[in-house]
Amino acid sequence: MVDEFNEAKEIKVDYTRLRIPFGPVHPALKEPISLKVTVRKEEILDVDIRLGHVHRGIEALAENRNLVQTLYLVERICGICSHSHTTCFTQALEEIGGIKPSERALYLRTLIFELERMHSHLFVLGIMAYEIGFDTLFMFTWHVRESVLDLFEEITGNRVHHSMNTIGGVRWDLTPNLVEKVNDSLKKIEKSVNYIQEVFQDKTVEKRLCRVGVLSHNEAQELCVVGPTARGSEVNMDVRRDYPYAAYGELKDSFSVVLRDSADAYARTEVRILELFDSINLIRTILDELPNGPISKEESVLKLMRKIPEGEAISMVEAPRGELLYFVKTNGNEGLWRLKVRTPTIPNVFGLKPMLIGCEIADIPVTVASIDPCMACANRVTVVDQGKGKKKVINWENLRRRGKK
Amino acid sequence: MNTILILLITFPVVFFLSLLFEGVDRKVHARMQKRIGPPIIQPFYDFIKLFNKERIVPVTASSRIFTAVPMIAAAASIVGASIPIASLVLETGIGGDLILILYLLAMSSVMVMIGGSSSGNPYGAVGFSRKMTMLIAYEVPMFISILSVSLNCVSLAYYNIVSAQIGMKSLLAFTRPSMAVAAATFLLCIPAAADAVPFDISEAKTEIIHGSLVEYGGPYLALVKLAKAASNFAMTFLAVSLFFYFPALLEGYASVGLGALCLCLVTALIILLLTITVPRTVFARLKIGQAFKFYWLIPLALSIISVVLSTLGL
Repeated sequence: MVDEFNEAKEIKVDYTRLRIPFGPVHPALKEPISLKVTVRKEEILDVDIRLGHVHRGIEALAENRNLVQTLYLVERICGICSHSHTTCFTQALEEIGGIKPSERALYLRTLIFELERMHSHLFVLGIMAYEIGFDTLFMFTWHVRESVLDLFEEITGNRVHHSMNTIGGVRWDLTPNLVEKVNDSLKKIEKSVNYIQEVFQDKTVEKRLCRVGVLSHNEAQELCVVGPTARGSEVNMDVRRDYPYAAYGELKDSFSVVLRDSADAYARTEVRILELFDSINLIRTILDELPNGPISKEESVLKLMRKIPEGEAISMVEAPRGELLYFVKTNGNEGLWRLKVRTPTIPNVFGLKPMLIGCEIADIPVTVASIDPCMACANRVTVVDQGKGKKKVINWENLRRRGKK
Repeated sequence: MNTILILLITFPVVFFLSLLFEGVDRKVHARMQKRIGPPIIQPFYDFIKLFNKERIVPVTASSRIFTAVPMIAAAASIVGASIPIASLVLETGIGGDLILILYLLAMSSVMVMIGGSSSGNPYGAVGFSRKMTMLIAYEVPMFISILSVSLNCVSLAYYNIVSAQIGMKSLLAFTRPSMAVAAATFLLCIPAAADAVPFDISEAKTEIIHGSLVEYGGPYLALVKLAKAASNFAMTFLAVSLFFYFPALLEGYASVGLGALCLCLVTALIILLLTITVPRTVFARLKIGQAFKFYWLIPLALSIISVVLSTLGL
């Protein structure tokens, strides 16, 4: 006993190391993630990433609902890429049910998809500016984003949750009047995006972003990061080109896969800015080549839903943050056996550790923002009790009981 | 009797003016960002609101230091801002009050820093170390530039420097090259002293949650904010009256007294907008190493050049 006591006393505390809790609540984080950062002075020595603060039990919820209800539920997984989630889900259902949406519907889906990419990229560019203390650029970027949101409202009636997709097509059509409006808006947006690109080449911005949060090409491949995070590290991948879905097969000449090799926060920002131009180009092509035809099936959605047999499908789309994957297993009785969602943030968030080690405290917000994390997307199934290290799945009943308390 | 009365009036006047300057700064900043912005008297609303809030002292804090520090900081910067104003109105001064003013202004930053480190919050500790580095970075060139001024005017009394400008009927910054360089140094140091954006490293909101201020709330926060506003006001007023005393250009009676003071205040507001508001609108925040490098490369070199020039009599 005495020995043990003496031994315990001899443990040396390294007072030069300071453990800083970065999150779950922090002004730099828009959503809760917990990074326990060990620093010496300003240098980061170690990072411990914890997820699970905004778990909502959506996958378990989906198993208790019918397919159309789930369609609206998955839209609420994320407030930014809501259209990506519904597209991915409807694609899986259409594959199981053998339903083929019309050409016009596919083009309209792609249109909303690209508008959403613009909205998401402008959003994260604003956040980047805010994290480096450049409030003016932040305000300007979000001002531009506002006009994209206005377009959403014109086309679908909603700014955030567009509810555009339905099984076998889309719910809203484009009138010639609207096409003109979108074209007019695009001109203004393109001008502003040009300006944003110029401002991001400002010296103070470059000083904060260059050589910050470096994720080398090999590490990026090992960690399977996706989307602009991967393309910033010169990993040549884009679901739109590799596994075309919706109307991307026909539109493959209107966009390019933007790659950068500097692998830092600036590269990821640059990729996003250049993708904005690609999106503008894609939308213009879609508006020009929009085929005629019905936008959805004549049968009602409920009838279509009842026709979907038991089966399973995997569906993939390129969400603004990267590859989004759905595994859907229907029970042939209007419901689901299993819904598995793998959002782009899950692989990307683990890229944070190699990015952060060796950086300064001042780089944490920039690095975290540069992968554009969406925690609400990433936390769905399990609740991790961090104190005990136990994991458990929360079901609908449990959630309800907790809510009543 | 008159003297005491003026001294008593100066404190509320400084309180009022410094918060008003902050309000103008916020409004102009907002307009430059295409926002509407808060009303100009918003800092007064904030001050009153914060004073009605609960006093919270964290359990980890050493409570005596934590609670005493905001008061000392506010008192130091208000007194520091009052001395130049009172000297201008009374047209007198004591030898060495320039050192006292600079000491009081540095004191208010040091006090806020100590308050942060006494809160027991790790962010307060990071804020402390960052502010310490920044103090070393900008205080040295600033003090050397003032030293150059006093070498030039052969006086450490604030009012003597002002009256020297009146005597020469010119602004000090335009009299000699050494003074122009000193003025440039002083103006470059203002954004760091004010913790404005390219140099707001010690209280970066998105990085370390306001650093030293992280645990402050209610009346304590109100006092800390007042201390900051008053020290910003004092810095700009000092810059104006030491280097750009415009009333000196006017003939005879108008070069001193209340009218001159008002002219000085207007100029001070313009300097505040140029040195604090504009940089904080057009720049992104630097990292601590970059800011330190900047201050020791440019302003320090400038200040040394200015001292060398003034010893050479240029």
